[in-house]
Amino acid sequence: MRGRVNAGLIAGAVLVGIVVLAALVSFVWTPHDPTLVDAANKLREPGGGYLLGADKFGRDTFSQLMVGARTTLYVGIVAVGIAALIGTPLGMIAGMTPRGWLSELIMRVNDLVFAFPALLLAVMLGAVYGAGTLTAMIAIGVATVPAFARVARAATMQVMVTDYILAARAAGRRRAAIAVRHVLPNIGSMLIVQASVSFAIAILAEAALSFLGFGTRPPIPSWGRMLQESQELLFSTPRLALWPGLAIALAVLGFNLLGDGLRDYLDPKLRRIRAER
Amino acid sequence: MPTHAGTPLIEARDLTRVYRRPRSSLTRQGEAVHALREVSLTVRRGERFGIVGESGSGKSTLLRLLCALDQPTSGSIRFDGQEITGRPERALKFLRHSLQIVFQDPMSSLDPRMRVRDLVAEPLVALGEPVGGRVGELLDAVGLPASAADRYPHQFSGGQRQRIAIARALAPRPQVLVADEPVSALDVSVRGQILNLLADLVDELGLTLVFVSHDLSVVRHVCESVAVMNDGSIVETGPVDEVWAAPQHAYTRTLLQAVPTLEGLL
Amino acid sequence: MLSVDGLTVRADAVELVREVSFDIAPGERVGLIGESGSGKSLTALSLMGLLPEGVRASGTARLGGRDLVGVPEGRIKDLRGREVSMVFQEPMTALNPLMRVGAQVAEVMTLHGRPRAEARTRAVELLDRVRLPRPAQLARSYPHQLSGGQRQRVMLAIALANEPGLLICDEPTTALDVTVQKQMLELIAEVAPALLFITHDLAVVASVCERVLVMYGGRVVESGPIREVFTRPRHRYTEGLLAASKLTPRGTRLPTIKGSVPAAGRFPEGCVFSNRCPHATQRCETEPELTGEGHAHACWHPAD
Repeated sequence: MRGRVNAGLIAGAVLVGIVVLAALVSFVWTPHDPTLVDAANKLREPGGGYLLGADKFGRDTFSQLMVGARTTLYVGIVAVGIAALIGTPLGMIAGMTPRGWLSELIMRVNDLVFAFPALLLAVMLGAVYGAGTLTAMIAIGVATVPAFARVARAATMQVMVTDYILAARAAGRRRAAIAVRHVLPNIGSMLIVQASVSFAIAILAEAALSFLGFGTRPPIPSWGRMLQESQELLFSTPRLALWPGLAIALAVLGFNLLGDGLRDYLDPKLRRIRAER
Repeated sequence: MPTHAGTPLIEARDLTRVYRRPRSSLTRQGEAVHALREVSLTVRRGERFGIVGESGSGKSTLLRLLCALDQPTSGSIRFDGQEITGRPERALKFLRHSLQIVFQDPMSSLDPRMRVRDLVAEPLVALGEPVGGRVGELLDAVGLPASAADRYPHQFSGGQRQRIAIARALAPRPQVLVADEPVSALDVSVRGQILNLLADLVDELGLTLVFVSHDLSVVRHVCESVAVMNDGSIVETGPVDEVWAAPQHAYTRTLLQAVPTLEGLL
Repeated sequence: MLSVDGLTVRADAVELVREVSFDIAPGERVGLIGESGSGKSLTALSLMGLLPEGVRASGTARLGGRDLVGVPEGRIKDLRGREVSMVFQEPMTALNPLMRVGAQVAEVMTLHGRPRAEARTRAVELLDRVRLPRPAQLARSYPHQLSGGQRQRVMLAIALANEPGLLICDEPTTALDVTVQKQMLELIAEVAPALLFITHDLAVVASVCERVLVMYGGRVVESGPIREVFTRPRHRYTEGLLAASKLTPRGTRLPTIKGSVPAAGRFPEGCVFSNRCPHATQRCETEPELTGEGHAHACWHPAD
């Protein structure tokens, strides 16, 4: 009954897989210490154990990319986790009582947060609580809540008008049980799609924040900061900007493809055509 | 139950349900739609009561009210002597226990992501009753193999899904079964099986049956009494054979003439 | 006029319609009855070149000397709406909600090369022909302002706009109320140039058509004049279906066909009905041919 696996889904899964693998391997092994400053290897060209060369402090670019993948995933998981944990229940409540005052309140506050750019929120939080990975993650997470709440609300409203919800009510199920047993499993696929798309946005936001100096602090490697540190050498040593830039682009592409692919894969309307009604 | 046979079980008085269309102007309220106008009916214990009407007749609204899935704008419904309107869900446990529903389309009334075992047990779980071996018993009663319990609804044909829905409805041993067009989404070759099954179960378990349909000929096969609905009101009610043989209201006559029957055509 | 020969429809390896052959003469009204999974809708869709993706038809279907099956999309698009047109089951979703109904009727005519002004006036005539009240006014309304029955009449007007040689109706009244259905059926019978009427409802087909094809498991199992087929069915499936659709008095058991319609591709080899048939024998493991002039059947152990 599942849809066909499409090329986009596979490509997305492979790209995301590479990022995850790099991050996991970096815990046990990297070619060099990614934070080791070594004047002897300053701006070393690729080769001789340094696969992608070294930066202006003599740190191995490849090792930095591997550990940077960790930061990227960490930020993505926490930010999307915050957004999903807060946004989903809010959206479900709003979707299950579409005409109630609570629903109205949730959605208006939602609109308010939605109107606030994630980066601005992160910069403000950074100014108040100090910049860092955690602040960035929370800011990105909070800014993503409305996206989840909206998707969850729309999906819940679709589920609420189905006969099986009526049947569950007639069976004597309470609201909470209906939410957990019937609504959540049936909106799950939509949330998964939303999560992978939000993940891509979170990666971009973290990179941008680190680039601006509001994200991950040195010496922890981050793709965004690698970009920032390489900007003065953009014309003399462009490879230093190329690799982290490519890593960000491919990771974002990967999560977007994964999201699109999952949408097609999980959408019952696009599932293999039943031969006849 | 046979000892009380004939005593009123469901008594609806002057039920009115008004919906408001969403407002289309700032100054005026949305237009009011009368889905139901002062409808009264009595269903007696052990009776097989049919409700016939076309789309928009109010039969679905009436059904929802009788099952306390919606609240009337005015009027009252007494079930076994107890008022059920205006009560919150938690005070309706006795009704959920005594009255269960089989919906029209077994494709959409069974949650696609639940196994048959959980679907059939759901009313028991909701009422906080032990499930035990009841699922197997129920599947057997509706003519499905015990192995069906571990499968998902989409793995069954329309007729089999309706059997699952009936098993589920019977789980808490209700007194009343409400069937909302239970065979109109089914193929003709399985319609008879489901109607026979319903008749058997109603007999064996001494159930009261409320059977809603757009088709008076199906109601005539299943029920003893009928209420014909049109435009939110009951236009005619009585023993189904009398209504069938000598319809009093003009609408009932139109309805009877409109249904094409093989006997009439050949 | 329409001549279908050996029409077979497959999705991957699964045969959904097998070797269907029939003719429709000008002015003739033919019913195609079957339950879900019988292949009746796919038969109709393949004549319109509207099969879903991944589903392919083979065999021949000729309408007035032109091929309908196995021709490129560009060519069939020309025929669709002009030579053959179709009315679907769901009148709610088949119309564009943002377009006035008159314009939607006119559009199918301008698409096939009629001048705009002429199409407009003819659209109103067509709405009148399908017995819509005050057609000139109604042409200016939007689909949501009409009732289900009215919308289905608009669909019929669209289908008739280019004076097609053949009208195909797929369960056109299933979504309608019985009181509306009757008038709609009378109208279809009256205006159709030649009709292929698809339904699961025996009584409906009997009230519209002269001849009937009974489909089961992707095959035509019986065909012939309606009165004959319905009063003296030969195939055991037709017999069972007729028995099952008569509602006996209260308290009696309804005659039934055992089991349920198998899923596509799960029908037995040989006679497709053999696993549900009370008369099946070893012989039914080989496929029976559709035999007989006029009233034909494909059954090894026919009734009577």
